[in-house]
Amino acid sequence: MLKYSFRRILGMIPMLFLISIVVFTLAKLMPGDGISGEIDPRNTDPQYIAEMREKLGYNDPMPQQYFRWIDNFVQGDFGKSTRFKIPVADVISERLPNTLMLGITSILITYILAFIMGSYAGRKPYTFGDNFIGGLNYLGLSIPSFIAGVFAIYLFSFTLGWFPSNGSVDIGVTDGTLEYWLSRLHHVLLPAIVLGLLSTASYTQFLRNDIIENSRKDFVRTARAKGTPERKIYNVHILRNSIIPLITFLGFDLVAIISGAIITETIFTYPGLGQLFLQSVGTRDYPVLMTLTMLFSFLTLIGNLIADVLYGVVDPRIRLD
Amino acid sequence: MQIDTQKDTNISAAPPKKSLSPWAIARKKFVQNKLAMISFIFLVIVGIISFLAPYITTADITRVNIADMSLEPSSKHWLGTDKSGRDVFTRLIYGGRISLLVGLSCTIFVIFIGTLIGSVAGYFGGAVDNLLMRFTDFILNFPFLVFVIVINAIFFGKVSGLWVLIAVISFLYWGGIARIVRSKILAEKENEYITAAISIGCSPAKVIVKHLLPNVLSTIIVQATITFASMIVIESALSYLGFGVPQETPSWGNMLNSANEPDVLQYKLWIWMPPALIITMTILSINFIGEGLKDAFNPKSRR
Repeated sequence: MLKYSFRRILGMIPMLFLISIVVFTLAKLMPGDGISGEIDPRNTDPQYIAEMREKLGYNDPMPQQYFRWIDNFVQGDFGKSTRFKIPVADVISERLPNTLMLGITSILITYILAFIMGSYAGRKPYTFGDNFIGGLNYLGLSIPSFIAGVFAIYLFSFTLGWFPSNGSVDIGVTDGTLEYWLSRLHHVLLPAIVLGLLSTASYTQFLRNDIIENSRKDFVRTARAKGTPERKIYNVHILRNSIIPLITFLGFDLVAIISGAIITETIFTYPGLGQLFLQSVGTRDYPVLMTLTMLFSFLTLIGNLIADVLYGVVDPRIRLD
Repeated sequence: MQIDTQKDTNISAAPPKKSLSPWAIARKKFVQNKLAMISFIFLVIVGIISFLAPYITTADITRVNIADMSLEPSSKHWLGTDKSGRDVFTRLIYGGRISLLVGLSCTIFVIFIGTLIGSVAGYFGGAVDNLLMRFTDFILNFPFLVFVIVINAIFFGKVSGLWVLIAVISFLYWGGIARIVRSKILAEKENEYITAAISIGCSPAKVIVKHLLPNVLSTIIVQATITFASMIVIESALSYLGFGVPQETPSWGNMLNSANEPDVLQYKLWIWMPPALIITMTILSINFIGEGLKDAFNPKSRR
């Protein structure tokens, strides 16, 4: 297992290298460069622009530019945002806590909801409650997250006024107080539910089917024959078997949250990395764009790795070689 | 999904003289699945209305009409007008044309590339398999949405937007299909009839197309419906974010884009509610059809 994980981690390095080439090429192919996004060509002396281009190394051969970029990148120097005029690392670390909070809240809500609904539906299959949960799941799988977001804002923010419709924290609360954290939680709750909608539905479905399948197995019959109370059979014997496979989804969650965050953060104008990414595409802020794309690719690689490794941990019958 | 299981026992009750082919059984099961059939009919109606859009309404979809800005639904404008004075109903059916076209073309390309790569890798195995699957892994390791947005931004404005979008989405999405087809082919090619076909001198292309693919076709069809649903979601999500179909072309996602304005979202329901509902209903019905097909092709399910 360790050997396999180690080999997979080593295998990531060439993959990251290839991805970095793709990212760099794409960034260079995009119209304009950092300067044209920053300076209004009508008001600036063309000679100054040309000088700046030369100074920033935009005229060097491509491979040279690539190696300069990747060299700095590996050393943790991601360049300077052309839009905010501060280092990219600072821009990102300012937004990162927001996205982390959104992602973690979303996973927690997903797991709690899926656990409650899935174990109920699995315990009482083909009853009204199960069918109701099944129907909800079907909606959750079918409503695209951005439409769910739009409906959620309309219903819970505008009509009912339960949740704020934008931002990550109320203006005017002091940093660090309890009030501050409550306000942040209040802001993150609605986007997190919308973000976790799809996985909640698929987890619930998975847990339900797994519980039903397990409840027909021999060890459950044995437990019943011994006179184990029904509640204990479900809570201890079956749940323990059914909950483990869910862990393997954790890796896919990571991947889903990345793309989900782009959409969800934009709908809720939540200042996180996803929103930053879309803004950087719009404003041609290439250093930020390239760093974020690399970061997202890296996280996707990690997510796939976690999924594969956990698969083997959970089910030793899967041979990893 | 649990949809009346007791009803359809007539297949097993009176065994016909000549037993039905697997396809005929599947068709029969599908037709008897009420939810799937209703969804199918709904989808066909949406499709027909969308593709006949120019014959149904003659209103100009691009003209901005200041006098008719943000009108509520009335007998003249069934679903009201949007902020530029364009008729929402007209845009809805023209939008369906674009959304369904993008969804359908992407699905066809994705299934084609995925099946081609998956079946070649699975059939030949060895070095070919290794090479193709490493390439597939490489594609699958890109965060899909991020790269679609970046690549779209490169081409934006240079080439006609619609086909670029279709090409980009298809190019980045086929990996999953290739993996599934490969694993199915790997299992299927161990059968003796494949050895027989090879021994009588069939070329690899013929073995794959004539003998292997028909046996994995049911999987591919089910995957195609799932892909179709995802494609419609992806197209509308990208257009909603402003990185999909060009703004002036009506599509369901572009129409939803106006929900970004709090004023529209809160007070002008008729502008964003129709596309939101039609997207959801279309996805829902495609999912029901997919579920019905899966059930129809499953020899274990009794209906």
